[in-house]
Amino acid sequence: MKHIGFLITGIVLSLLFVISSYSYDYNLYYSLGYSAGYSNEMLNLQVYPVIAIITLIVAWGGAAIYYYAINSVKFDRWYHWLAVLAVVVVLAPVVCYVYNDAVFKDSNLAYTGEAIRFEFWTVIFAALFYVIASYSIRWWSSNCRHTPIPQ
Amino acid sequence: MRLFLFAIGGTGSRVLKSLVMLSAAGVRPLDEDGKPVKDLEIVPVIIDPHKANEDLKRTESLLNDYRDIRKKLYGTDPNADGFFANRIVTLREIMSNSSVTLNDTFIFNLGAVENAKFREFIGFDTMNEANQALTSLLFANYQLENKMNIGFVGSPNIGSVALNEIKDSNEFKAFSNIFRQGDRIFFISSIFGGTGAAGFPIMVKNIRQASNLEGIENRDALSRAPIGGLTVLPYFTLEGNKHDQRIATSDFIVKTQSALYYYKNTLTGDNDSNVNCIYYLGDKVRSKPYLYDPGEHGQRNNAHLIELIGALAPFHFAGLPENKLLDPDGYPLPTTAYEYALAKDDLSLNFLSLGHHTRQLIYEPMCRFHMLFLFLSTGFKDIIGQGFTEDEPKIKSDILASQFYRTLTDQFMLSYAQWLTEMNDNMRSVALFKPGEIDMSRVIEGVSVKKALFGHKRVDNDVFKAEMNKLSKDSNNYGEHSVEYKLLDLFNRAAHKVFTERFENIN
Repeated sequence: MKHIGFLITGIVLSLLFVISSYSYDYNLYYSLGYSAGYSNEMLNLQVYPVIAIITLIVAWGGAAIYYYAINSVKFDRWYHWLAVLAVVVVLAPVVCYVYNDAVFKDSNLAYTGEAIRFEFWTVIFAALFYVIASYSIRWWSSNCRHTPIPQ
Repeated sequence: MRLFLFAIGGTGSRVLKSLVMLSAAGVRPLDEDGKPVKDLEIVPVIIDPHKANEDLKRTESLLNDYRDIRKKLYGTDPNADGFFANRIVTLREIMSNSSVTLNDTFIFNLGAVENAKFREFIGFDTMNEANQALTSLLFANYQLENKMNIGFVGSPNIGSVALNEIKDSNEFKAFSNIFRQGDRIFFISSIFGGTGAAGFPIMVKNIRQASNLEGIENRDALSRAPIGGLTVLPYFTLEGNKHDQRIATSDFIVKTQSALYYYKNTLTGDNDSNVNCIYYLGDKVRSKPYLYDPGEHGQRNNAHLIELIGALAPFHFAGLPENKLLDPDGYPLPTTAYEYALAKDDLSLNFLSLGHHTRQLIYEPMCRFHMLFLFLSTGFKDIIGQGFTEDEPKIKSDILASQFYRTLTDQFMLSYAQWLTEMNDNMRSVALFKPGEIDMSRVIEGVSVKKALFGHKRVDNDVFKAEMNKLSKDSNNYGEHSVEYKLLDLFNRAAHKVFTERFENIN
């Protein structure tokens, strides 16, 4: 029951994150990483929701791969989990930047420096949601359910 | 049901050792339907005046370790399943009243016999001249001078006199008090030595004639008790064969013939129902020669195939239905004799050399136990704090320093490894597992792992760990058990799965 609670909490937090990225008034990205011009364009072009979804997919996907695809006694130490986290925090901003750059190029906008700086928040959110996803789904993994911290 | 197991003499102790090893592996007596015999308690009693006998000491130590390990795993539950399944207890442990004083040991106290020379024991010096002359005809001088704390040195004529004292001992009284209808009695002895050859018929006689004995309870149940016996025929040789040796290999056959004639006339004849089942076991291929030691230096013989096979006899006997042992009125049926044959007459045996029935009984349990031995020796320490060890109840690193773990690994497993090595080095060589091999996929002699898409399936500590992780995740029933039980039960279940899925089926 406790484990279901963790899963539901993880899903709810992720949904709130996506909802917030759509919002004009309470947009988490906008408030945290405001940059004149760039942030307004991101909001107007609806890039934030896509970046949020990409971040969630990479974070949850990374956790799912670790706990259910890798799921091996050879990779059940905390540093293996950390290695996947490292992949997630590299992959998520790269994909997000590529998307962001493509959207801005289509609109003839040039915010390269801002876009790169913005990816700092993608790194933070990817790491955060990787932890959240890990605590949401790890309980049913046969070999890695006690990684990174035992139950 | 209780199975009172009297192991007489050096061979008795060595067969008992094999029985303990098989029990540790989880081999259990099966009934006619192939199900484990319910509520079975095995009560071994070692009868041997030669207390310094190394074989006896090793077996006693092993029995004590087994008892400690099992108690920690299952408490007093007789119907356990898995490693150390059979409940093995001392007479003292199951005594309900305290009218008889008894030590908590598996060894029959033969105080009066052990502390005297044979001539003192029979009061030779107080006999008149005629009786002394007659006694001198019956017993050689070295036999009269034999101090019996080294046994009867191959002289059943001494044993048959000295062991008659047994019926007056506290152990025999305690045994008779405990014995109930439905219990069974089994004897393990050799026929070509002194203690076993003499002890078996005397014990049977005293039990069947219990109604004539004083201070004995349950006389009726005792005199009608189902009795079985393993009679071990010559299977080993001794170094040297000098005429002045008190125990000589060349005498084994003659002694065996004489004893068999005696048994036929008193125990196992056509219409004789003193012994219900007799199991004869021997081998024309003799062991590697053992050190000649009539007792002074503590006889220590290597483990042997015959002892391993012999240990299956009490299991077979315990699994027989009652109607094969007693008539409808509850009286013992005449003797049935059993023999044993190998499937292949090899000098170096593996599981494939054993018959189908034996293989079915011991192959998987022994392999599982051997995997446990390898797992505990090579992989367990490193996985504490991961996977199944973190599920409740948690297996923490303090288990490695616990009495249970040290008894299991430092003592029992060490004896197990030595037992395997001894059997492997003996003749016939019992090479069930490759000596020194720690690769689990190659360790079973003659049995390979199944093929996979590329190469062969893996069998290693990681495979066992993964299976144990899976089983532990799906099990919620370890909360009420000890961590020791959890560890061994999980491994046993994982090993069953690994065997079924990864090893070629030889059964």
